[in-house]
Amino acid sequence: MFSTVTIDWYVALSVLLFTIGAMGVLMRRNAIIIFMSVEMMLNSANLAFVAFARHLGDLDGQVLTFFVITVAAAEVAVGLALIVTIFRTKHSISIDELNVLKG
Amino acid sequence: MNAFGLAPLLLIFPAIGVLFNTFAGPRLIRAERKTGEMYAGWFASLMAILAFLVAVMLYFSLRAHDYHAETVRLFDWIVVPSAGFTIPWAIQVDTLSVTMMLVVTGVGSLIHIYAIGYMHGDPGFHRFFAYLNLFLFFMLILVSGSTYLMLFVGWEGVGLCSYLLIGFWFDRVNEQGKVMNADAGRKAFVVNRVGDFAMVLAMILLFWAFGSLDFGAVFGSAVDLFAHGEMVTLFGMEMTVGAVLTAVTILFLLGAAGKSAQIPFYVWLPDAMAGPTPVSALIHAATMVTAGVYLMVRSNVLLEIARQSTLDGVAGASLLGLSGPDWIALTGAATAVLAGLIAFTQFDIKKVLAYSTISQLGFMVAAAGMGAYVAAMFHLITHAFFKALLFLGSGSVIHGMEHGHHHVHEHDHEHDAHHKAEKFDPQDMRTMGGLRHKMPITFAVYMVGTLALAGIFPFAGFWSKDEILAHASTNHGSIFTAVYILLTVAAFCTAFYMGRQIKMIFFGSPRHEAAEQASESAPIMTYPLIILAALSLLGGLLNFPFFTESAYKAAKAAHSFGINLGLEHWLEHSITAFALTEEGIVHMPHTPTWMQVDVALISTILALAALALAVGVVYRKRPQTATERDPLQGTPIWWFAILPFEWFYMHTVVPAFKWSARWLAEVLDGAFWHDFVHDNIIRDLFVGFAKFSANVLDANGVDGLVNGSGRLTHAVGAVLRKTQTGYARNYALGVFLGTVILLAYFIFAS
Repeated sequence: MFSTVTIDWYVALSVLLFTIGAMGVLMRRNAIIIFMSVEMMLNSANLAFVAFARHLGDLDGQVLTFFVITVAAAEVAVGLALIVTIFRTKHSISIDELNVLKG
Repeated sequence: MNAFGLAPLLLIFPAIGVLFNTFAGPRLIRAERKTGEMYAGWFASLMAILAFLVAVMLYFSLRAHDYHAETVRLFDWIVVPSAGFTIPWAIQVDTLSVTMMLVVTGVGSLIHIYAIGYMHGDPGFHRFFAYLNLFLFFMLILVSGSTYLMLFVGWEGVGLCSYLLIGFWFDRVNEQGKVMNADAGRKAFVVNRVGDFAMVLAMILLFWAFGSLDFGAVFGSAVDLFAHGEMVTLFGMEMTVGAVLTAVTILFLLGAAGKSAQIPFYVWLPDAMAGPTPVSALIHAATMVTAGVYLMVRSNVLLEIARQSTLDGVAGASLLGLSGPDWIALTGAATAVLAGLIAFTQFDIKKVLAYSTISQLGFMVAAAGMGAYVAAMFHLITHAFFKALLFLGSGSVIHGMEHGHHHVHEHDHEHDAHHKAEKFDPQDMRTMGGLRHKMPITFAVYMVGTLALAGIFPFAGFWSKDEILAHASTNHGSIFTAVYILLTVAAFCTAFYMGRQIKMIFFGSPRHEAAEQASESAPIMTYPLIILAALSLLGGLLNFPFFTESAYKAAKAAHSFGINLGLEHWLEHSITAFALTEEGIVHMPHTPTWMQVDVALISTILALAALALAVGVVYRKRPQTATERDPLQGTPIWWFAILPFEWFYMHTVVPAFKWSARWLAEVLDGAFWHDFVHDNIIRDLFVGFAKFSANVLDANGVDGLVNGSGRLTHAVGAVLRKTQTGYARNYALGVFLGTVILLAYFIFAS
């Protein structure tokens, strides 16, 4: 039944997605993958927003989700451009190669 | 009808005179010398005369007002709103201040007029009159102020004018190339500063103790506290009123010693004779130097409380067992004798008069210290008359001598060039002689002045000096006896040096060609002299005594004193100590109200004897020529230890001083101070300290600190740089962990 899927499930899924995303950011070396992981974290937040909006009967969470999607789109545009430029200069998108800030 | 509202004019007229002669004077004189001098001189004199008229109107107002003192408030000077404390700029019109105003402006007017003649042709003519008016302005502030602070403003102002006028011919140099007039002015100024410092201390003490500087408030509060035996708190200590006022009177004595040339500060007055003679007459004889006496008389309440406290044995109310007023009396009497003796050996006509002034001021100070305030003021007034007369007379003599000298040189300058190189001092009495035929008017008025100063009946000086001596002789106590003896000796000296002076100036035959050619001064100079001579003759009427006790008692019973004791009845409205004595709060020394015939006889006989001794015996034959020695020179020391004062001084004080100075210079300063202290202590200590600083403190301490901080930064950086891996995920992990920690904190802390 529809009603058996309570807010707890949504929150649990959101946490799961966020954790996977965070682990991806911390552990993977491929810049594209890291990028996707960031997107996953953003979307886990979206899921939590929408779930709570529905649960509380309030539209604020839904509206905020649109903002997050917009920001994520802009970020992808800038981020992919950076990655393309990095690939052109370094011929690699492994972020371990990008360690010129090493102290 | 009263004219108290006119009181500010008293200050405004001289101020206008100062402005006129400062700004218009130079132009007038440059345009046309003769008429310019007339305008400048007469305008200044007119301002002095107008001020005198204002003073006369104030005098009649006071009479019409039943002698009731009046305070004319001009504006608030110092206001401290938070403390509710105001010092007004106010003119006090009472019988004492009006007396001083009359003397200052009256004698001042005559001297202004005289100076028109005396200063004729001087390049600084307008400057001179501007200074004279400025002096009148400050002197009137001094005598008319209603607070000690205003008195002090005038006190400093007249000091300034004294400095300006002593150094009036500031560019004159002596043989050694020293600017002696300017030096004399500086000496007067600096010596006076010492006394003024005491004045400031006295005022601070008064303000702390009584919370005011207003005459009325200070006296009222002092009497109240004293009558109730209350204490005042100074420096966190409880002190008796008597102790405070003893300190104040001693400080006043020091202040007056500076301004009125008493021991130990009298040294400036003889040098002050470098100024033009009208200045010597106005400032250094008649008015400014009497400011100290005025201060004492004005503060009579404080003096009497100090005296009474010592008599009552109040704690701390004496200095070496004597009260403050006792010290004042003894200082004055000692000064009177010392200055009288020094005057014996002077050859400069003005220096004799200068020492005479110091001596006569000693009489007044002694009188004030003995509680004879009326006698002090009486002597102040008559002294203003006859000493101004003598100084102006000496100016006339100097003028005549200069003219005679000039006359001689006009006639023989072409074939007698060496005369120009010859030094001629128109003030040296040894070059004078026989002037009575050349300058008859000057001689006549000078004789009047001499007899008045010597205290010969019936001249003014006889009455006033006799009143002081009578006061000293009728009161009991060793102080009064000592003062009486000292003052009698001083009176003898006075007559002697004046006899010597007139003998040397006017009698005998001329001892220099300038004296042969001397001529009488212009009428503008002789008329003021004649007026002053008349005053010196009749001044005794101001406070004419009763001759017998029965006459006094009869007059007292009838409540009609006529002309007798006029000044005393006039001044007793200002001298609060009389009223306090009647109330029994203090016990002023008794003032004799009828003449003490024995005292008068003794002093008159001594004066006549001294005159006869000087004119008839010691100086009968000599000096005949300008180079001859004074008969008193070379007198054996046992004859009169202090008489050849200079010899005595040169053979006792000077060698001792020289020896000690040499010892100080060679042994203490040279061997000890320079060689030992400088080299071994100061230099070596300094070098040692410098070495320690450079090699130890700087090399280890300062450098270590600077380099250490650099090394520390380096080491910390070497450790911390390891965290900067350059891998983005490490930074991301940091951000995550930070976020988690923050979240954990917010969740679990709240």
